[in-house]
Parts: sequence; structure tokens; C-alpha cells
Amino acid sequence: MKKFITPTIFLTLLISGIMFSRCKKFLDVDPAYTQDAENYFNSPADYEMALTGAYDLLQACSIYSVWIGEIASDNTIAGGESVNDTEGLHQIDLMTHGGVNTELRNVFRWNYAGISRANFILENKDNIEFTGKDVIIAEAKFLRALYYFDLVKFFGDVPLVIDKRLGAEEAIQTPRAPSTDVYNQIESDLQDAISVLSPTTPIIGRATKGAAQSILGKVYLYQNKFSEAATQFDAVIASGMYNLIADYADLFSVANENHSETVFDVQYSGLEGGGYGCLSCLEGYAGPGFHGIRQYNGPVYGDGNSYNLPTQNLYDAFDPADPRRDLTVLDIDAFIAAQPSPADITYAIGAGGHTGYYNNKYIKRQGEFGLPDNDLTSPVNYRMVRYADVLLMAAEAHFQTGNVGIAEGFVNEIRIRAGMPTITVSTLQDIWTERRLELACEGHRFFDLVRTNQAAIHIDGFQANKNELFPIPQIEIDLVGGNWTQNTGY
Amino acid sequence: MKKILFSSFLLLATAFSASSQNMKITGVVTDENNDSFPGVTIMVKNTTVGTSSDTSGVYGIEVANDSNLVLVFSFFGFQDKEILVAGRTKINVMLEPVSSALDELVVVGYGTTTYKELTGATARVKGEDIEKLNLSRMDQALQGQIAGVAINTNSGSPGGSSSIRIRGLSTFGDNDPLILVDGVVYDSEGLNALNPSDIKSVNVLKDATAGIYGVRAANGVIIVETKNGRLNSKPKIEFTSYYGMQQTARKLQLLNAEEYAVIKNEMFAAGNDLMPFNNTAIGVGTNWQDTIFQSAPMESYGVSISGGSKTTTYSMGLTYFSQDGIIGGEKSQFERINGRLNLSTELGDKLKLNSVLLFSNDYRTGLPENGIGSVLYNTINAFPNEDVRTPDGNYSYLEEVSDIINPVAQIENSYNYNWANKFVGKEEIVYSINEQFSFTNRFNYNYAIVDSKTFSPLAWYGPGKYANTALNANLDPTLVELADGVFIERGASVFEQRATYLDLTFESFLNYENTFNEVHKVKGTLGASAFHRKGQALNGTAFNIPNNSIEYADISANTAAGGYLNSTGSWEFTERLLSSFIRMEYGYDSRYLVSAILRRDGSSKFGPNNRYGYFPTVSGAWLISDEDFYDVAFIDFLKLRLSYGVSGNDQIANFAYRALLNGEGVYVFDDVITTGVAIGRAGNPDLKWETTRQFNAGVDLTLLDKLDFTVNYFIKNTFDLLFQPDVSAIIGSYGPGGYPPIVNAGDVSNKGIELELGYSSDQSKAFSFSTNLNFSAINNKVTSVPDGVDYLPGAYFGVGGNVATRFEEGFAIGYFHGFQTNGIYQTQDEIDAAAVYQEGAQPGDLIFVDQNGDGVISFNDDSDKTMLGSAIPDFTMGLAITMRFKGFDFSSNIFATKGQEIIRNFERNQPYANQMAYVLDRWVGPGTSTTVPRVTTEATRNTVLSDFYVEDGSFIRLRNIQLGYTIPKKYTEKLKIESFRLYVSANNLVTLTRYQGFDPDIGPTAGTLSAGVDYGFYPQARTIMGGLTVKF
Repeated sequence: MKKFITPTIFLTLLISGIMFSRCKKFLDVDPAYTQDAENYFNSPADYEMALTGAYDLLQACSIYSVWIGEIASDNTIAGGESVNDTEGLHQIDLMTHGGVNTELRNVFRWNYAGISRANFILENKDNIEFTGKDVIIAEAKFLRALYYFDLVKFFGDVPLVIDKRLGAEEAIQTPRAPSTDVYNQIESDLQDAISVLSPTTPIIGRATKGAAQSILGKVYLYQNKFSEAATQFDAVIASGMYNLIADYADLFSVANENHSETVFDVQYSGLEGGGYGCLSCLEGYAGPGFHGIRQYNGPVYGDGNSYNLPTQNLYDAFDPADPRRDLTVLDIDAFIAAQPSPADITYAIGAGGHTGYYNNKYIKRQGEFGLPDNDLTSPVNYRMVRYADVLLMAAEAHFQTGNVGIAEGFVNEIRIRAGMPTITVSTLQDIWTERRLELACEGHRFFDLVRTNQAAIHIDGFQANKNELFPIPQIEIDLVGGNWTQNTGY
Repeated sequence: MKKILFSSFLLLATAFSASSQNMKITGVVTDENNDSFPGVTIMVKNTTVGTSSDTSGVYGIEVANDSNLVLVFSFFGFQDKEILVAGRTKINVMLEPVSSALDELVVVGYGTTTYKELTGATARVKGEDIEKLNLSRMDQALQGQIAGVAINTNSGSPGGSSSIRIRGLSTFGDNDPLILVDGVVYDSEGLNALNPSDIKSVNVLKDATAGIYGVRAANGVIIVETKNGRLNSKPKIEFTSYYGMQQTARKLQLLNAEEYAVIKNEMFAAGNDLMPFNNTAIGVGTNWQDTIFQSAPMESYGVSISGGSKTTTYSMGLTYFSQDGIIGGEKSQFERINGRLNLSTELGDKLKLNSVLLFSNDYRTGLPENGIGSVLYNTINAFPNEDVRTPDGNYSYLEEVSDIINPVAQIENSYNYNWANKFVGKEEIVYSINEQFSFTNRFNYNYAIVDSKTFSPLAWYGPGKYANTALNANLDPTLVELADGVFIERGASVFEQRATYLDLTFESFLNYENTFNEVHKVKGTLGASAFHRKGQALNGTAFNIPNNSIEYADISANTAAGGYLNSTGSWEFTERLLSSFIRMEYGYDSRYLVSAILRRDGSSKFGPNNRYGYFPTVSGAWLISDEDFYDVAFIDFLKLRLSYGVSGNDQIANFAYRALLNGEGVYVFDDVITTGVAIGRAGNPDLKWETTRQFNAGVDLTLLDKLDFTVNYFIKNTFDLLFQPDVSAIIGSYGPGGYPPIVNAGDVSNKGIELELGYSSDQSKAFSFSTNLNFSAINNKVTSVPDGVDYLPGAYFGVGGNVATRFEEGFAIGYFHGFQTNGIYQTQDEIDAAAVYQEGAQPGDLIFVDQNGDGVISFNDDSDKTMLGSAIPDFTMGLAITMRFKGFDFSSNIFATKGQEIIRNFERNQPYANQMAYVLDRWVGPGTSTTVPRVTTEATRNTVLSDFYVEDGSFIRLRNIQLGYTIPKKYTEKLKIESFRLYVSANNLVTLTRYQGFDPDIGPTAGTLSAGVDYGFYPQARTIMGGLTVKF
């Protein structure tokens, strides 16, 4: 019997000894194959990868910027399966939106996510030195400026977080910065970017000098700094990098992307599937599928969710002879009637609203399907800044600074390409009208109306001195302990 | 001690041998089953003269010829039997197992005690009460059997899991208890591998005394022991088998084709749209439910052998179980083989080996369940005027509804397979150092290999359907553009994964037990435990499976051009726990009992700042009925118990304390999807476990020797909930793959009362009767949420709809939040005269209640929404009855739950979707209905979440009823059969409920806050079975 005692005690002591001497080590488990946020940025590739992460949010933010930029305006209605389907868009459509609005909250969240990713790079910009780092830093600033510009357009004064990541406590203590401060930051970031970026980039999708100048010009325009704006636009135009492409009809297809009219596109690919669970994770553009014809069964188009439907008002704004009308607004019943066998073509009407029109620029087309769920994964890029936009903004800036002739030249350049007769530009309204027609359904209209003080005239239910800005999501105010005031009127 | 015994024996032996008037008594000892009983000790009372029965149960003893002599027959675990010799020379005796519940052993973690001396709130279910129900999983069988343990079914599909909630919900996170099978950790999913008929007993530690398991004990602990053999017994072979047919217990009342046509015409007309049907006399049409529900068999065959020699006991078994689904048959099937060996042997005088090996092989197939797009959701919403197949033989498209697909086609195209092989074992060496000390070392392992395969064939459900994987009805593959003008086909695909999980546990503990001066009983346990878990997986998806056929559905068979579309993935994790624990127990005269526990846990889940925690518990009991002053004749036993202690819950993701670059930072450059990096979840170095403080007061009493009664009252407060609350957006946590940090914030309180009543008549009589009744009522409330957070959102209602369930201070966890209704507007005058303005209201619309009294129903914010119910019942009850009369036995098991609500969330709000038959009673004009609103295709507010969609989920269910007959032994003996029992049995024969959905027993299918939201739940089957048990 005794022979068991010694080995038992020996074994126990051995195991206990191992257990307790290595106690601390035993529990020190490191995550496998994953890097830690605190000891990153050790190689040029690390910066490159982080920059890709900062670009990522452009894809998410563009979805709502385009929707809200149109739905809030007189151009489109919300649409969809029912009035409860993405209810926030319906409220914005009716100008009844308040502080509880999922879509506005996403705008707020995603833009700050983009900012924090740009800040993550800028916070660590001095870790190592290497050739080409200045371009990465410039692009990070460009992206930060884009995200802040979206925020200041939507919400006015917003908290300014620069070159650092915030802890929970710091977030509570960060106030809303006056919009002038935000604009100053945007201007300074873009100027830094312009001084470094090249007019061209070897990698399609990366920011160029022209993109930064165009955005800076737009930022000036939003602040009524017309001569500064004109300077930026003129530089873009004078660079000779850009041209209007010949046919307006070719502007929005996958086959015609990243061409001479492209100043800055948000790049999408249809090669990764996706689901509704995470719209911000998509590599495809959800817009075209959401704008698609509900339960459509027929040629040319694919079926979709009937969102963001053009109004009669927009359709009627076009001269019937203007080719851009039918290229912008799809009259679905007329289209079906014109097909060889209309009786075989069916579609449904969503309970979220129906105008008879669909957004014909960003719409799901056959041959442009992404991987499943292809309602969400269109490979079509979002044309954030195209040269026509630059010309029209330049026209506005020059008109405002007294150079009516230059303005008229730019406007007519647009009209000639569209196949319309030239006009005499005598009022700002002439430029604004052309701007609406040229850029309808691309996400600019609401912000243009607000910027030019015309929103109350054109938008039903728009209350001046209130609806120029969207409310800060109430939950965000609560999450900083009520330290922010809500926008006027909300 | 030994020496004294020995010398007194000598002395007595001398005394007896001096007597010449001796006689010999012989006989046979049998057990309660009339099996011969070897190894029984037979002593002459008040002497040391004795012997024991041989392997055939035969004994012989020489005694003094004194008719007043008494023989005492005893065996551990059996009731002693005293027999007056009265001059007989042949005495046969039957021993019965200890029937007094008080002396039964209860497992308390690293030791045992008896019910009599138990200080905690612990419940026990015997293996036979689990086995009897013939269910595939242990958790299903526990429903209604234990007060304070709520079991809800997550899915009625074969192999579907249940949620186990001990004493309410204490967190919105992981509420699963710690489940230990022979000391090995099983999670809820892993219970599929456990054969319920291998279980000897289930012990549930409900109160703070579970704190011996420290940081994992906050949700209670379930300790499962598998069957073992008995010393000195002949091999006992048992064969069990049953076969049953399952059917759905209910089909929904949906519109038939003619009713549908009438309703839809009215609906479209009301919305100023063209009426879809010119002719509404189109008959009953297709009942889609009939096309997907089927009768499905369920069967089980098992054989086991158990027994023991003088030093070894063994029990082993082999069981096959198979169950087809009532939806999809073999497409939702579960099949399992279990092998088991439980061996205990004395390696030496003081050294004992306990060895357990459990092997299981299970196979499960599944269908899309309980969500938008599930088979049942499609079935409910498919319209009845369309046939399953079109005249040309293809499946119909249900074209008018984009998001509903033909459920029969969906079943046909679903190929989801899962195989799990699991090896679970325990090697335990117990060294009895001396009478006081024993030292246990054990090593547990659990190795599981889980393989899964999903085949996605090219399928076409009709134009515009979300589930299409093909380009068209010809099943042409879609084309993917790799580069400008370079297209490749994207054909059928297969996903395969192999995941392995390895748990290793080493535990070592010392037990001490001694009694001083006959009244001071001291017990102690001191030990340590180290736990290591590693999981890893490798998976891949491959495209262009040949022939679009399951026959070639393997990665090896893929023909994807250049492999461009194929992808691979992998993951890996490690978690560890290092613990030490001590328990001290003291009992004075078995009347005053106290116990104290302290456990220290270190967990790799937490950062260095909070890696170690201490979990103390104290408990005590007072046996009033053993006091001298006690003289209440009809109460035989009366005990008071109190316990209080702290335990923890560490069930969160690994490495939540640190920020990792595992977010998603992906963008498209040069038309190529380019991977970057981004921070995933923000870190929180101060993260720690949830802490539960629980108080329990209980009374146990026995009335008239037959009626056992237990009542427990508890207060269980959970603090520092592991919370991932919303944080300010400006921190930047809401990018793709990004999450806010996990923090400790929020408190939850559970208070409840539990009653258990047991009655058992004399089992030796021809007619015997026993019953158990249990009752639990729990009040659950969130007592605090983090600063700045109003509530935590849970499940959503409808499609793209609003948050339906919430975690909010002052309410039950996951309560339902929406509009309260007050009838239906009958006329425009009524609307105009109403004190409250309700935007867009028309006659026939629901009237919403203006909760904040501002005269306007606010649809844009939450100010007029209110509490509409919750999935937590007011009380639950379980009743079990067993009766025996001669060879017949009858048992039944009833479960009732009252006061919980269910959200009816399976109705698709689309113009053409089919509807439930209640719309036949809709409002069509003033005075026609005050409950069901008008039908219209117009946009109305009738579709927002209101109490119209919330139903009473109370139910009473006859879970099992069984009638058995054991053929008298005289007929079977000749065939060498010990016993032969036949039975018929039915599960879920009757369910009484007012709920309109398939099954009111709905668990939280998508996390705690989704409890009570019904997306078209896969119902539990009604099963009629016949079976037999043969013992040799």
C-alpha cells in the first residue's frame, strides 16, 4: 500500500508546483494572429493598410448622404416597402424628423468612424520615416476633411476631434465646436493635402490634387467665400486633367467609370456579397439596389426596393426635349409600354410610396449585378465629384464675383454636352436651375437649396431657421451627459 | 479504533463458541428487482457475529438457538432490514434502496452531502425521470421538473437546443448555467452529444452555494452524473427501444384561396388600386402548411451492461437515436450514437480509480429557421391561390411577393449538414489517506471535432427573389467580371468547415471529515483547478460544383476557373482559468450546520488589472425537528436554511479588455477589393466579471412521513453587468467591424419564490402513487443602466421596423415596447371628435393611446409608446404523477406557465402576402369590429408594433403521458428474462393556450432580448411512441 503514497504525493507536488509557479504565465494568453492597436505603425505597409481602413467609410457614408440629399429635397420621396421601412427617411421626406432617427444617427456615427480612422494614422504620423509617407498623411487629411464636411453640412456645429483617439471620459468632455472652427479645420486639412498630392494617382480610387481642390472649392462655396472658391475651381479647370465625356447617357454605368469626367469617385465592387445586417460592411453600393424597381420582372433593369423615387416636380422641371430628363428619371410605365412585349413585364408598388418614377442614374441594371444579396452589392461607383459639378460650382463662384461671362461659358459647356441649346445666364437662378437638372438624383439638391437659401420655397414642410440643419441624434446628446445643446427648433 | 473492534470481536467469538446450542440459518438476499444480491452484510443484532451473501445472494450463518435473536441485513445505499429469527432456519430477504429522501446523497461540488445536512438550495432530478420522457436532449427533459429552473425551447427541430435559466435572467448577455457532466464542462450546444438515458442524476445548485464554482457560477450550476454499476453484482444487461411518430401539434388558421381573394380585393380597392381578382370563387387553393409538414419517425435502441465485483464497478452502454423533422424530414434530421464506459476500481486498499469515457457521434441537418426567410415564415405568407407546382412541373414562383419564396422549393434546395464527434473523459484517482482525509486528483478532457457542410445549389425561385443563386429559370450561373471584359461563371458552391475544441481540466482537492465527541462534525475541502480551452477551425468555400448536384458537393470536386472565387478562412482562440477553493463545514449534533466557501479565480478573459477575483459564500441550516423541545407530531422533519454569497459570470468574448486591429477596413482600389486594418472593439483594461449576490431562505419539511415540502425565497442581484452600451459616436467605434468597448455597468434584480411538493405512498403495496409538484414565481427587473443610455435595443418588429424589445431600467429584461391600442375608429366623426390627434387616422384604423397626454400620437418618437408585456412568465408550474398497480404503471408530466407575452412577428406586411384568418373579422364599416383593423394597401399606422401584435403566451401542456405494463415474472423467467416492460407514450398530446402561433414555448432564439418574438417558430412535435425495456 505504501508504495502508492510516495508517487501520489510526488505527483501532486509536481503538478501543484507547475500550476502555481507558472500561474501568472498560464493566464497570459495572447490573441492569435491579430495585431494590437497600441504597437502598430512599424512599417510603410502598416500605414498603407490603416489608410485603406480610413477610406472604407466613404462607401458607407455615401449611401445616406445621397438618399438624404435627395429625399429631403423636392427631387424625390422616400419610397420603400412601407412607411415603417427605414422610417427615418420618411420623416425626413415629410420634414417631420426629430432627434430620434436611425438614418441620421448612422450619418453621425459613420462619419466619426471615418474621422477616428484618419486620426489613428495622424496620431502616429511620426512613428517612422519613409518615402511616400507624406502622401499617406495628405490622403488621411483629405479623408478627414470629407467626413467633417459631411458632418458640418448635416449638423452644423460638431465636436472637433483632431489627431487623437478619444476615451469614453474625454468624449463626454468634448463640446460641439462652432461650424466656423470645423470649416477652418477642413480648409487647413485640404490645403495640406493639395500641397502634397499629385494631379494623378497610379492607383484608381486614391485622392488626387484635383479632387482636393474641388472639395476645397465646394467648402468655400458653402461658406459664400466665392473668390476663394473660384480660385480652386479655376485651378482644377486649368489643370487640363478633366473633360466632360461626350455622352451624358454613358455617365452612370460600370462600363464607364474613372474616366475624364471623374474628379473623385467612391469606389465599389460587386465581388463581395453582403447582407442587410451590416450596411457599412458592404464593398458594393447599396444605392442602385435600393433604388431598383420593386419586384420587377423584365428587360434592362433588375428588381429592387423602390427607394428614393423622383417626384413629378423633378420630372416636370426638365424641358421635354432635354435628353437628361429620361436619363435621370425613369418613367416606369412609359418604359414598359415601349418594350416589345409589355404584357410580360411586371413590377409592384411599394406601400412606402409610388410616383411612377425611378432614379435612373443609380439603379440596378442587368449586367451590373454584384454577388448576393445583389440588392446591396452593385459595382457602380458613386460619383462624388464629377467635372460637370466643378464647372457648375465654378460658374456660381464666378457669377458671384461678377464674372458673368465666365459663368455663362461653363453653364453652356454643360448644356452643349447634354445636347441642349445654349442660354444666356443673367441670374444666379439660371445657374441653379442648370445645376438641378444636371445633378439631380446625385445627392446634392437639398444641400444646394439650403446653401442658396431656397429650401423654404421649394420644400414642403421646410421650416426656415430650423430645417437648414438636421438635429443632432438625441441619443448622442444623452451619451455625452447632455453636454451638447440641440440644434435650433428640434 | 480498529484494535478495539478486533479485540471485542475476539471476546464475543469466545463467548459464542462456548455455547453449544447453535443453529444454522440460510437464505437468499435479493434486491428490489428480485435480483440476487451479493455482498450484503448479515449481522446478529448487538453482536459482532456476521457474514455476507455470496455472488448468488445466498448466505448461511450460525447463531445461538435463541428465538429472540434479530438478524440485520445491510448494504450501503439500501435500507437496513431487521428480522426476528423466531426459530426459522430459512429466511429470504429483499432489500430496498434508501427511500428516505433525507439520506440520499447530493452532489455539492467537490464533495457530497445528504439532503438532511444540506445547507444550500439544491434540487435533484433522477435519471429515470429524464429517461422516461424519451427526448433527445437532457435540457428538454428538465422542463417543469425543478422549481426555479426555466427551460424554453429555442427550436423544436430535431437536435434543437433549449435555453436553461436558473432563477431568472440576470444579464442580457449569457444566461446559461455552468453544466458539468462528470466534471466536464458542456455548453448548451454540446448537450446534443449527451444521451439522456445515460444520466444517473442531475443536481442543480441554485443559490449562492454554487459559489464553489466561483467566476462561472452566477447563472447556477448543473451537475450531471452518468450511470455507474454496483459492487458485488452480476452483470445486468438491459435493452431499451422505442419507436414513435411525430406530427405538428398545430397548424395556423390562414386564409384559404377564396377568402384570400375576397380580402385582397377589398384591400386593394381600399387603397385605390386595381382589384387583383375578377373572380373570387377559386376554391380553397393550396394549404402551404400541408405541403411542408409531414409525419416523421423517431426511434431509439440501446443496450447497457452494468455490474461489479468486490472491488470494481462498471457500467457501459451503446445507444442509437434518430429523429426526422416534422418539416423537411431528413432535411432537418438528428441522429446520434453514444458509447459510454463508467468504471470504478480499487487499485489498492486506499486507492480508487474512477474512469469515465463518453463517446458520441451526432449528425444533424437543418433548414432556415425562425427568421425572415425561414421555411415557416415563407409558408405562412405564401398565397393560397398558387399551386405548389406550375402546370409545367416547376415550383411556382409566388411572384407578387418579392421576399417570399416557395417553401417546398426552399426545403429541396437546403443542404446543411453538421457532424460532431466528441470524446469526453474523466480519470480520477481518490486516495483515502486515512479515515479522515481523502485526496482526489482528476483529469478531465473534452475533445470535439465538429464538421459542417453547406451546399448552395444554383436555384431559381422566380424573378427578383432574394434567394436566387442562379441567373434565370434555366439555372444558368451568374457571371462575375474579374477584370475588364473577363467574366467567369459563379456556379453552385459548397462551404465546409472543420472546427475542433479541446478542453482540459486538472483538479486536485483534499477532503477532510471527522466527528469529535460524537457531536462536532467537521468537514473541509481544499483544492485547486486549472482549465484550458482551445478552439480552432479551418474553412473554405468553393464554387462551380459539377452538375449542380449534392453528389459532388465537396471542395475537392470544385471546378471554379482558376479558383478565383474560392475562399478560405480560419479562426482560433484560447481561454484559461486558474482557481483555488476552500470549503469548511461544521455541524453540531446534526442540528446546527454551517458552511463557508471561498473561491479564488483567475481568468484569461480579463486584463491584468482585474484578472483575479474572490467569491465567498456562507450558508447554514437548523434542524428544528431534532431539537428536544420539538414535539409537532405530524411534521416529522423540519429544517430552516439560509445562504448568502457572491459569484461571477465571465461569459464574454476573449480579449475584450484590449483593442485589437480586427475591425474591417476594406476598400476598392484599382477595382480590386483591398484589405486594410481598423480597430475592432475599443479596449477596456478595467473590465471584470459580472457579480451576483444572492440570498436564499428555505424551509424543508416532511409531513406524516409521506409528504415532502420545500419552499425557497431568494433575492438575486447582479451588478456590473458586462455591457456593451452605446458610446458617443465621436469615439469612432461604429465603423464596419467596430464595436464600443465592453464595460461593467447596469444592475439586474431577481426575486422569487419556489415551492416543491412531493408525495409518495408505500411502494411495496400493490397500488402505489407518487407525485411531484413544483411552482416558481420570479420578479425580474433591471435596476440600473449605464449613464446616458436610456435602454439597450433588442429585437426588431417587422421588416426594417422599430425596436420591439428593450433592456431598460425599471422593467423586466427584454420587455416589449410599443403602442397601446384602445379599439378602432368607427367613423370619421369619431376621429374628428377625438381628444387626441392621430395623424392619418381613418375609420377602421387602430386607436392608439396618448401615453404622455399631449393630445397628439407621436409616431416619430417614443413618447407615446409603453410597456406591452414581456416574455418572462408570472409563474410556472410542473406536475408529475406516477401510479403503479400490479404490473401496470402510469405516469404523466404537465407543465404550465402563466403571464408571459409573445410578439406575433411572422406576418409579412406586403399587399399580396397571405394572412391569418382573424382578418375575416376585420373592420368593414361602423360597428363591425373593435379589434381587427381594416385592410388596405394604403400606408397606415396599423402595422407599427402595438398590443394588436402582442398575445398572451400562457399555456398548459401535457408534456408526456405514459402507460406501461410489466409482464409477470413467471412468464418471462423461463426465457431467462428478469423483467419485460412494454409501454405506450405520447409527448405534447395536449397544449392549452390562447396564442395563435405554432407553439407558445418559445425561447430566445437570437439572444436574451429576442425572447418572446415569434418569426414562425419551428414547433415541437406531438409524438406517439411505443417502447419496451428488457432486463436480463
